[in-house]
Amino acid sequence: MNERRATDRQASLRNYIKLYLILIRTSVRSRMQYRFNFAFGTVLAAIIQLSEFLMIAIVLAKFGAVRGWTMHEVGYLFAVMTLAKTLYRTFGNEVHNLERYLVEGELDQLLTKPLPVLLSLLPRGFRIMFGEVIQGGAILAWSLGQMLHSGQISWWAIPQTIFAIVTGGVVLFAIGMATATCGFWTTRISMLQNMTEDAAQTAARYPLTLYPGWMSGLLLTAIPVGLVGYLPALYILRGELGLWVFPVLAAASCLVVLLALRFWKFGISKYQSTGS
Amino acid sequence: MISFRSNTRLYQTLAAKAYARNIQYRGSHLLHNFASAAFGYLYACIWIGLGRDHSLGDYGTIGMLHYITFTQTSLWVASFTTMGLGIPQSVRTGQIALDLMRPVHLFAHLMAKEWGQIAYQFLYKSIPIYIVMQLALGLTPIDGGRTLPLALTALAGAAYMAICMNYMMGISALWTTESSWLYWGNQALMNLLAGFFIPLEWLPGWLQTVAWASPYPFMLYAPTQFYLGKGDPVLLLGTLAWCAALTLLCMLSTKALRHKVEVQGG
Repeated sequence: MNERRATDRQASLRNYIKLYLILIRTSVRSRMQYRFNFAFGTVLAAIIQLSEFLMIAIVLAKFGAVRGWTMHEVGYLFAVMTLAKTLYRTFGNEVHNLERYLVEGELDQLLTKPLPVLLSLLPRGFRIMFGEVIQGGAILAWSLGQMLHSGQISWWAIPQTIFAIVTGGVVLFAIGMATATCGFWTTRISMLQNMTEDAAQTAARYPLTLYPGWMSGLLLTAIPVGLVGYLPALYILRGELGLWVFPVLAAASCLVVLLALRFWKFGISKYQSTGS
Repeated sequence: MISFRSNTRLYQTLAAKAYARNIQYRGSHLLHNFASAAFGYLYACIWIGLGRDHSLGDYGTIGMLHYITFTQTSLWVASFTTMGLGIPQSVRTGQIALDLMRPVHLFAHLMAKEWGQIAYQFLYKSIPIYIVMQLALGLTPIDGGRTLPLALTALAGAAYMAICMNYMMGISALWTTESSWLYWGNQALMNLLAGFFIPLEWLPGWLQTVAWASPYPFMLYAPTQFYLGKGDPVLLLGTLAWCAALTLLCMLSTKALRHKVEVQGG
């Protein structure tokens, strides 16, 4: 009996994954119907990202270092955060846009589908963010290249960085989902997103030692954006802490996403439609 | 021929209605201000951190805190205006055809509404954020507030330029479904070329040249220099010239819009 239940569960998981991939393909196809718009958006996204990095680069060019962190090290923090955010927004953009579903009552339609809400929600906003990938990848390649050349880091830094980007993406997704869940009570979440996503991610592009103790503590625990770039960079770039950073990052990202999922489930059980 | 002058009362009413519509949500917006002030505080922390290891030129750490406080406050007047003045939505719903049929010029109509929005944002966003940041950073208004009249005059010009730029970005919705990217691109340029976070004289030479060839420095940097008591009143001439040039471009783009718009059933 138990074996049969386990087989059924595996089969339904396989079906969900298959369905998820089909929905993603549909979403990509619909976007590619407007090729000029796609190219236009990609170019502008890259320019926006570049201008954001220029702002940081200019500060570093003017002052040399930020609290002992060189331009390449801060470039690394910026690039890891950009790529982790890109990963989160590629797969989880609709979680970030949940307010629209709540305000316009679109969530009610998703609730009537014979699928978990997250599964029908996530593929809708799937988008390929070439602009961000190109720009984040270029800054990462530049900063890693310079540090490899100077002997500050070894080639091991590359797989370690990829690991940090993946766990970072998961952490950002968890923060985004937990923030969005508050919308089941408050409906409007943009203000909260400004604090937990926009401001927090901007803060974590710089070394956390810039901030007062209470703020860096907050960015490592309550809104753990410090786990995305800063914590792995301490080991990968500066040889501080130890190899234990990686299992800790893996465990922390699993923990935050599980907590966020539980919160989401609880939140959705309390959801009341805004009506139409 | 559509007259601009004969509709003064209409424009006043449109502005007043936009203001009144916003005031319904002032409680929620006042809460929103904490998020904006948090951003300002974050940028201030970066300059405090930098100021610990480096001298911050003529500004000094306190000067940079004043600088960030004023630019963060000014964003709600000079930058966070309605995306494309609402034209992209009008294009999508077809409302634009009706708007063009009205006996008022589209630019003047949308501008009047936006002035109401900006007046609201100034009172319920800029001023509270300014007060919160002054308190959080332990600052007092520069020169007892005597620099404010000139700074606010320059800021009013910046608001007008923001309206013009958003109008043109809105009109681009007739050619692309991705006009929102122009809005975000404009925000990014505001951060970089308007001197939102870094005073323009600290930018590399080539970028300073690019910045001064655009209207951006007159949108944040010039008002902030007036606030800090460092601005040359001649800068106001630059604001005036850009206001005139952008108005002309808005008129020309309205002509292009009228040629482009087509109604497909209903």
